[in-house]
Amino acid sequence: MTGASQRSTGLGRTRPRPRFRWRWGRAGLAVAILGWLTFALGPYVWMFLTSLKPKSELYTSPVQVLPHSVTFLGYKLLFTTTPFLRYFLNSAIVSAGTVALATVAAVLAAYALSRFRIPGKTYILIGLLVTQLIPSVLMVMPLFLTLRTIGLLNTWWGLILVDTAFALPFTTYLLTGFMDAVPKQLDEAAMIDGCNEITAFRWVLAPLLVPGIAASSTYVFIYSWNEFVYALTFTSTTVSRTLPVGLRTFIGEYLIRWDLLTAGGVISVIPTILFFMLVQRNLIAGLTAGAVKG
Amino acid sequence: MVRTSAPRSRSLNPRLRRRLVPALLLAPAALLLVLVIGYPLVRAILLTFQNFNMLQPSRTTWVGLQNFVQVFHNPVFWIAMRNTLVWVASAVSLQLVFGFIGALLLNQTFFGRDVVRGVLLIPWATPSVLVALMWMWMLDGNYGIVNELLVRVGILKTFFPFLSSPHTALPTLIMIDVWQGIPFFAVMLLAALQAIPLELEQAARVDGANPAQVLWHVKVPLLLPTILITTILRLIWTANYMDLMFVMTNGGPGYATTTMPFFAYTEAYRRIHFSTGATAAFVQALLLGLVIIVYIRILRRQQVV
Amino acid sequence: MTPASRFKRVVLMTLGALLLGTVLPLSQAFAQGNKTVVNYWLWLDDSTDPVWPDLVKEFNQTHPNIEVKYQTIPLSQYHDRLLTAIGSGSAPDAARFKDWWLGEFVSNDLLQPLTSYIQQWPGSSDVIQNLWSTGKTSADSPVYMLPAQYITFYLYYRADRLKAAGLEPPKTFAEFVQEAKTLTDPAKKQYGFALRGGAGGQDQWYAFMLALGCHLVDGSGAVVADSQACVDANQKYIDLFRVDKVTPPTAPSDGFAQIIGGFESGITTFAAHHVGSSKSLTEKLGDKLGVTNVPPADPNKPATMMAMSGNVVFGSSKEKQAAFTFISWLDSQGPMDKMSRSANGQLPVLASVASEPYYQNNPFFKLSLEQANYAVAWPPLPGVGYVASQLWQASMQQALLGQITSQQMMTQIATALKQK
Repeated sequence: MTGASQRSTGLGRTRPRPRFRWRWGRAGLAVAILGWLTFALGPYVWMFLTSLKPKSELYTSPVQVLPHSVTFLGYKLLFTTTPFLRYFLNSAIVSAGTVALATVAAVLAAYALSRFRIPGKTYILIGLLVTQLIPSVLMVMPLFLTLRTIGLLNTWWGLILVDTAFALPFTTYLLTGFMDAVPKQLDEAAMIDGCNEITAFRWVLAPLLVPGIAASSTYVFIYSWNEFVYALTFTSTTVSRTLPVGLRTFIGEYLIRWDLLTAGGVISVIPTILFFMLVQRNLIAGLTAGAVKG
Repeated sequence: MVRTSAPRSRSLNPRLRRRLVPALLLAPAALLLVLVIGYPLVRAILLTFQNFNMLQPSRTTWVGLQNFVQVFHNPVFWIAMRNTLVWVASAVSLQLVFGFIGALLLNQTFFGRDVVRGVLLIPWATPSVLVALMWMWMLDGNYGIVNELLVRVGILKTFFPFLSSPHTALPTLIMIDVWQGIPFFAVMLLAALQAIPLELEQAARVDGANPAQVLWHVKVPLLLPTILITTILRLIWTANYMDLMFVMTNGGPGYATTTMPFFAYTEAYRRIHFSTGATAAFVQALLLGLVIIVYIRILRRQQVV
Repeated sequence: MTPASRFKRVVLMTLGALLLGTVLPLSQAFAQGNKTVVNYWLWLDDSTDPVWPDLVKEFNQTHPNIEVKYQTIPLSQYHDRLLTAIGSGSAPDAARFKDWWLGEFVSNDLLQPLTSYIQQWPGSSDVIQNLWSTGKTSADSPVYMLPAQYITFYLYYRADRLKAAGLEPPKTFAEFVQEAKTLTDPAKKQYGFALRGGAGGQDQWYAFMLALGCHLVDGSGAVVADSQACVDANQKYIDLFRVDKVTPPTAPSDGFAQIIGGFESGITTFAAHHVGSSKSLTEKLGDKLGVTNVPPADPNKPATMMAMSGNVVFGSSKEKQAAFTFISWLDSQGPMDKMSRSANGQLPVLASVASEPYYQNNPFFKLSLEQANYAVAWPPLPGVGYVASQLWQASMQQALLGQITSQQMMTQIATALKQK
């Protein structure tokens, strides 16, 4: 690319650095990002500070911002007196499984919807959306029956299947859209060069889908990680209970264990951040550079 | 048809293959959806025409449209309808606008971008019970940090009970939902932005367009499919999202934060009239169905389907 | 990462998850022996409290041919889970239960009448006699719920504040309002009474209604919630917020955390609650904590409400005898004592346990036990579940905010209570 500065992104690819034309360019960006960070993270900072305070400092007037005496007791109790680690493991397995299954099924379906002419395609698309229309609280009972009949209650697989089913429609739509954006000539060009459909997909289409898969897998992970109603109903013991359900057990009738809740809360958001930080590296422009011309 | 050159398969008859391959590709997704969601969905719809008693399922009978009549005569149903409209329209539009701005911001290069991208995701990634409790604590009418800051800065004179007042309860929940939803839109639109071939942007720049024009005339049209599907689904999900109400206000004060899914839930599980709950949800589903129809029309016009 | 290796990884992960997910339930299946299995559900106030799991272990050890498998469910979802389980034919054998739900479940024939089992149970004579009615739906109905733990509502007060103002604990409602007014100073963020208008506040409200002379049902069981006496009593309660202004401005939506947290930290001087919170409040406030009756309109007619949580056996259970053995064992001296002494222990239903020094010497338990002689529970009507979990809050908040009148609120409640 003539004239543009090259910059290595660490993945062996280079791309030109976008330039700014706005006058207050960098400063404005910094202000905007910092403002957004404050709005997004403020509550967590407050929750973290609260988790460090001993109970005596919680209800003060005026409100005390920083803890005067720091205690990590909440965290200690969280790991020693509750099955928190087990809840964490269950959530991790269910979410990983859901991401895997949903991505595979959605990629296949999206390829069919994007690259083939299917009779009744409209109905399929409508059908996908229709599955999202009824609130989960009303679908719980018949679903419970189904899982009980198959024998998947209180298992990871039961939750994986249910979460995958509900996450599929959006994932499929998203990936179909991303695939549609890649011109069919690319496939054809590859096949003229000697590929069959599968290798054309592997070498041409899939790399261009990476931003789409990054986004959709994030969505599926988060959906599954946070899912509550089905996780509550289809699990009965710590064997398969997930984090959101576990967190709710810290709220009793006459007691709210703020120490466990805030400690657990802080820890439960960490995996998603890590997941996305890993995945978002694929949200890089320029992967299609030269694709059409070449 | 995808292929223009001679068929390469060695095994199957090409016409059979043409039919079989897409069917096989769609099979896993289709199977999962039909088996898992199919039965509950059909059952829920059938229930709107029956008087299902959860506690004595064998005594269920068909009652035709009686549930609909009952539900339409309930003033709380109409309150819920109105609240849902306000809830969905405000929450989704605000998320979309700010999420889009967010995507544009995250599309730029800056120091620490990787970390920032990951970290800004947290509101969307947090279990709703935690979001609800965090904000309840922050908005507390006696000890909340939000009140404290607003008073210190001088915007408020005394602490205000956000969740106790019928005029501010729903807007407060809307604000929290927007807070949760901005990262969602930001991520989806960021991915779509990244998928736009650079040459298109560069070609436009070469033709003399400034960044704003590039955005509006080149990028946004390419982003439209993503914007559409994300918004449509977000509309549907938001319409059905009642976790915040459940934990923070229990539909109150009064019925100020009672939206349709919450109303359906209380009918089904607290009044133990499962069928009226299902009916209310079904009415909402029909209305959302209209939205879907509009969407499909738009797709048709773009000749996608 | 190339698409190929990514795909491989995905496949491997899926297979791995498949393997794990299949192996685990299989291993569980092999663990079962030839014992009678009783499935028991409960909710826990403090999920880290080991008392219950220990009790189950103790029972399983001392009863070698019965195995109790328990499942804990957060209280806010407890009722829903029960309904879902029943609706899909997989109810547990026995479960911890609230008296609110008695009417609903009995009118749908879901609970096993326990009278015949109780007659053969030697420990039945130890149960405080007038508590049996909390497990029945009428004077001559069978016993459906075995009483286990209960509470009565009383009034906490800040002894230091009253002393500083030269006041005695209020003996009548009128005195109570007066004292609350004296001790209200919005500028200092101090208010008289922690009125609970949010979810769960119906118990406290009911206690005040009873103290002010309102009964929801009359002697024959007919609903009289919309009587003039009740409308007036309700109006007095509403006035605490609207007219007397002795409550924090957040009262309409205040829930348990706000009431107790506010009282602990000094926002309010009076707060109504029960023995379940006495331990933690004593830790926090020590001598500053005082307790007295819910102030009645007439000092000669004290009244308050009681809430019973007991155990039930479901009619669909295939192990009714074993289930009853378990729940009656919970009502024996040792386990009962352990439950009541735990972090959120409530009042023991056994006379032998209640007479022990631990309870008699504790002012909170003592007062509650005295109140148990006249405390009234929610009527065992099918509509009570709905009122307690939803309608009361919506109506109360509307009344507090002036959107409806006291008459309208009581009519709404009466209508719901009359529902079959």
